[in-house]
Amino acid sequence: MLYICTMNEEFVNKWISQVKKGTLTFIVLNILKDGKEFYGYDLITEIKKATAIEIAEGTLYPLMNRLKTDGLIDSKWVEQTSGIPRKYYHITEEGKKTLKIMSDYWVNLNNSISNLSK
Amino acid sequence: MKFKAIAFKEKSSERIYRDYISRIQKVTKALPEKDQNEILMELNSHIYEDLQQHGGGNEIESLLNVLEKLGRPEEILQPLVADKKMEQATRTFNPVHVIKALVYNVTNGISYFIFLILYVLLLGFVILIGAKFIYPDHVGLFYNPGHVFIYGVSSADYHQFEVLGNWFVPVTMLLTVVVYFILTFLLKLKQTLKRSRN
Repeated sequence: MLYICTMNEEFVNKWISQVKKGTLTFIVLNILKDGKEFYGYDLITEIKKATAIEIAEGTLYPLMNRLKTDGLIDSKWVEQTSGIPRKYYHITEEGKKTLKIMSDYWVNLNNSISNLSK
Repeated sequence: MKFKAIAFKEKSSERIYRDYISRIQKVTKALPEKDQNEILMELNSHIYEDLQQHGGGNEIESLLNVLEKLGRPEEILQPLVADKKMEQATRTFNPVHVIKALVYNVTNGISYFIFLILYVLLLGFVILIGAKFIYPDHVGLFYNPGHVFIYGVSSADYHQFEVLGNWFVPVTMLLTVVVYFILTFLLKLKQTLKRSRN
């Protein structure tokens, strides 16, 4: 019995980590959608505030690079008085359009799952 | 814009920080200098901002915390280096970058592995050129309708059927270049398709 319990827990944990990975892009774009600019550290703080997601913080940067190559976000360096500049990210028009499609899909999926689990 | 190191009060913090920075530099070494600098500066900024927020107490402790939360450079930067290397390879068509990019991406899908094999086979053409100089009678295009068709090395002596002669060298060179460009163009196309699908 105990064995089955730990198996399930392992399965659920694995599933949760897949969901987290899969939704991180969606979360990032949602945080950026109002046009406010964020630098990496700031963005991670915001992700943590908005969701219970614990990510290895460094994994955010490869993700941001992909979003940038795909043209969904853009970035610029801004000098700071400390001498250590920040890289600020903002959403592009294409990013907003993509996010709209993603949001619609998300709502549909959510509805379908709610119907199924009734 | 230039990288500026964070200043620490304690020697040990300084050493831990330097070690982390040099690990970032090592992982990103295969990339163009601009990308290396960009990655280094961004992670450095992350460390600095975290220390500003959570500094205060024990300096070493705070530094160890932020580095642990960031993750090991070798792990977190692997996908970033693989992506950037592939961007560079398909932009420049430089064979060295292409091979490196495929090696970095080989764990990202079977197709990269197949591309790598095809490029290695292409190397066989280059070897043929060298072989032609050493064994002129056994290397070439041997053709006799209904009997022999060999492009490469023949163990039997078919030199009477050899049709290209010394032209074998420039023809193979041209073939290598053409196949190389076709392969690399396909790789580029694959990247574009992958991007538009995502």
